[in-house]
Amino acid sequence: MKYFVKLVRPYLIWSIVIVIIPLLLIVLYSVTTGGNDLINIQFTLDNFKKMAEPIYVAVFLKSFRLGLISVGICLVIGYILAYLITFFSEKVQNLLILFVTIPMWINTLLRTYAWISLLSDNGIINSVLEMLGMEPVAMMYTDFAVILGLISDLLPFMVIPIHTSLCKIDHSLHEAAMDLGANPFQTFWRVTFKLSTPGVLNGIIMTFLLSISTFVIPKLLGGGQYMLIGNLIENLFISVGDWNFGSAISVILAFIILIAITCMKRIDKETGEEE
Amino acid sequence: MIHKQLRKRIWGGFSAALLLTGLLTGCGASSKPTLKVYSWGEYIDTSLLTEFEHEYNCNVIYETFDSNESMYTKIQSGETYDILVPSDYMIERLIKEDRLQPIDWSLLPNADGIDPEVMGKEFDPDNTYSVPFFYGTVGILYDTTIVDEADLQDGWELLRNEKYAGDIYMYDSERDSFMVALKALGYSMNTTDTDEIDEAYEWLIEQREQMAPVVYAGDDVIDNMISGNKALAVVYSGDAAYIMAENEDLRYLEPKEGTNVWEDAMVITDDCTEVELAHAYINFMLDEEHAYANTVEVGYTSPVIEARTRAAENDFAGLNAYLPDATRAQDEVFRYQEQETKEYFSELWTKVKAAN
Amino acid sequence: MKKKIGAGLYIAVCFLFFYLPIVVTMMYSFNSSKSLTKFESFSLRWYENLFTSSDIMNAVWVSVSIAILATAISTVLGTVTAIGLSKSRRVLKEIIINVNNIPIMNPDIVTAIGLMILFSSLKMDKGYITMLIAHVAFCTPYVITSVYPKARGMDPNLANAAMDLGATPFQALTKVILPMLREGIYAGILLAFTMSFDDFVISYFVTGNGVSNISIIVYNMTKRTNPTINALSTLVILVIVITLILVNVIPMILRKKQGATSLSINENNRILQEEEML
Repeated sequence: MKYFVKLVRPYLIWSIVIVIIPLLLIVLYSVTTGGNDLINIQFTLDNFKKMAEPIYVAVFLKSFRLGLISVGICLVIGYILAYLITFFSEKVQNLLILFVTIPMWINTLLRTYAWISLLSDNGIINSVLEMLGMEPVAMMYTDFAVILGLISDLLPFMVIPIHTSLCKIDHSLHEAAMDLGANPFQTFWRVTFKLSTPGVLNGIIMTFLLSISTFVIPKLLGGGQYMLIGNLIENLFISVGDWNFGSAISVILAFIILIAITCMKRIDKETGEEE
Repeated sequence: MIHKQLRKRIWGGFSAALLLTGLLTGCGASSKPTLKVYSWGEYIDTSLLTEFEHEYNCNVIYETFDSNESMYTKIQSGETYDILVPSDYMIERLIKEDRLQPIDWSLLPNADGIDPEVMGKEFDPDNTYSVPFFYGTVGILYDTTIVDEADLQDGWELLRNEKYAGDIYMYDSERDSFMVALKALGYSMNTTDTDEIDEAYEWLIEQREQMAPVVYAGDDVIDNMISGNKALAVVYSGDAAYIMAENEDLRYLEPKEGTNVWEDAMVITDDCTEVELAHAYINFMLDEEHAYANTVEVGYTSPVIEARTRAAENDFAGLNAYLPDATRAQDEVFRYQEQETKEYFSELWTKVKAAN
Repeated sequence: MKKKIGAGLYIAVCFLFFYLPIVVTMMYSFNSSKSLTKFESFSLRWYENLFTSSDIMNAVWVSVSIAILATAISTVLGTVTAIGLSKSRRVLKEIIINVNNIPIMNPDIVTAIGLMILFSSLKMDKGYITMLIAHVAFCTPYVITSVYPKARGMDPNLANAAMDLGATPFQALTKVILPMLREGIYAGILLAFTMSFDDFVISYFVTGNGVSNISIIVYNMTKRTNPTINALSTLVILVIVITLILVNVIPMILRKKQGATSLSINENNRILQEEEML
């Protein structure tokens, strides 16, 4: 079989060039000044120091707050949805899950655009409200619009892993718990929820990863002043042209996510070991 | 020996895939000359591009940007274009950095139709490098059914009148936002004095607090104002004319403290090799009919007198925004900023947008 | 039974949330006026606009061709690597698996700027090729993660046996190994195609020279009301729904006839789940 070992070489070279070097370049940019001129760069930690300014810290906090809110709402809605889907026969379940996945295949941009026409001040929701004789509500360019857009984008990523781990649970465990005198709530909490934690954690990681770094949804539904980490990075790279500071922010973002994922995985392992 | 064969096959697969890519991408590139144009979004009647391609048997790659700064960043990152359509101060910067080549005016017979008033602005006094495309001012578009006539006396401070809190769109542009604040404070919009700039920064930050939520919109302001979503908006005169043609409740105000008189012009970059074709393109856009098609399509004021007159009398009749007053003493044109000033502004601008 | 009605109701509300924007989009693509709120009368003018707009048609072509090419290249690269990986030494294996996880774990925007800086530093002309390279870069890890578990679970003696019986390694690969990995490879293909077709952030940062895919062109058009986008959405949705139905239904029919296994709905779920498992 040793012939086949060499098969990893092309990818090894490829990933060094296309994965490792770009990361090193970002790190290099983050600790230097002089922009795209690689000839007269100077090493500095100013880019990282700048990030300690209250206004940038606030951007980070806002991104995390928004990310956590969206993930939280997705978790509640998504868990219930995944749980209720398991009530049905396997055939129906498959069909329902297929319907959960279809929106994921449709371009995020196209779906966000659809939300704009629903939410705008003279949009569809407001015209319906008007017909019902109610006051129109300003929804575009608010936290509400951004969170709604994020949830509709992320919900499937929460539902599917949870549903998968719920499906794996052996039904006889429920019966055993009930036989041993657990009430339905205890059965749910101690057995079902506990056994579904791998799915829950996967869902959380996936949705958090996507929500923390997004910039399209906040920009389209929140307006130009809606600044999350993703928007800040985009702004620095595309319009301001300060690649060094932009890189520093990216490094911090990647680092925070790495820590978050490691923590999540540890929780996963611990709950796994308890059993 | 055997695994060599295997390896060959695998690499063969790769090269086949690469070859396929080459074929797929290659089929677009014919022997026709290509012109790469980089301009503002929603700034042209795109059917003219097809017409130009047919007339001159060439390809036009037309890309758009949403701010002078993002255009500059793109160029700096190594992207090359033949023709750019940036604004005054950016042109001045490109000239200073030797990124442009001089215009050969003898190749532009249609240039005779340009209003001399629009020529020879400070950023390029002899129009060595630039040919005007559109010009105008920046002002406040207001809804006459909501905004009190008497409040208009406040000039730019109207944007901090708490009566209209949550009812304004600012424009998502670094220099224009600072222009509003600097003019409101009575300073020059080309100031390099950091105290004045700091004061303007405070003005914008306070505005975001007092008038919350303040939305910094881009081109989306156009649809929003046509639907009458908010009472006030900082807009370019051309967008104002376009919007007013669709929504008759709106008026355009050039605040008393003065404003930015801007000009977007076509320039040919240093990278351009199809120089003759580039001139043909510019000349094509200056043609009366074509200039008229552009101005009617987007609402911006054309420097071509015939086109402008025709549009002002028919399509935009009675709309003050189409013929902005660009002669007031208090108005200014944006000038080039030294690197230090530029960086100072950019950082504050990032902070203004990030403030909450 | 009561329980099921309650559950059905909740599911219906969730689906309303998922599908309302999609339905609205489809409906207004047939509106004769530009308004997105008032439906005036039925018309196909936005579809006409769509097919006559060379920008949009080019973008569709770019999206589709990049997705197909990126999927093909990353499937080959990913499968080959996964096979090699299953036979590698532990250290090398761990290094590659960790490197492979980087593009999956990294936020899109970080991957995007990394590649943007790389292409700028190499003075590469941004456009179709850079976009393709970027897509292969983020699709391959998904193929590897789909195929690798299958490759690891494969009985190593089978390929050896085939070669002992006189098969060339290439024959062993195509006749013995690949059929065993089929499920994983299909999963990888599906994942890679979706990731590539849906991508916005990475494409946005690495493209140039007027090359845009559907996402980029929509992003540039969202600033103004433009029902042509709705027409485009409707077509994209139809194609996806039809494809998904075909992918799910045909195997069922085939299975009934020949007992063959292929992609089923379950398979689909497993694929998506694998995407999370990383």
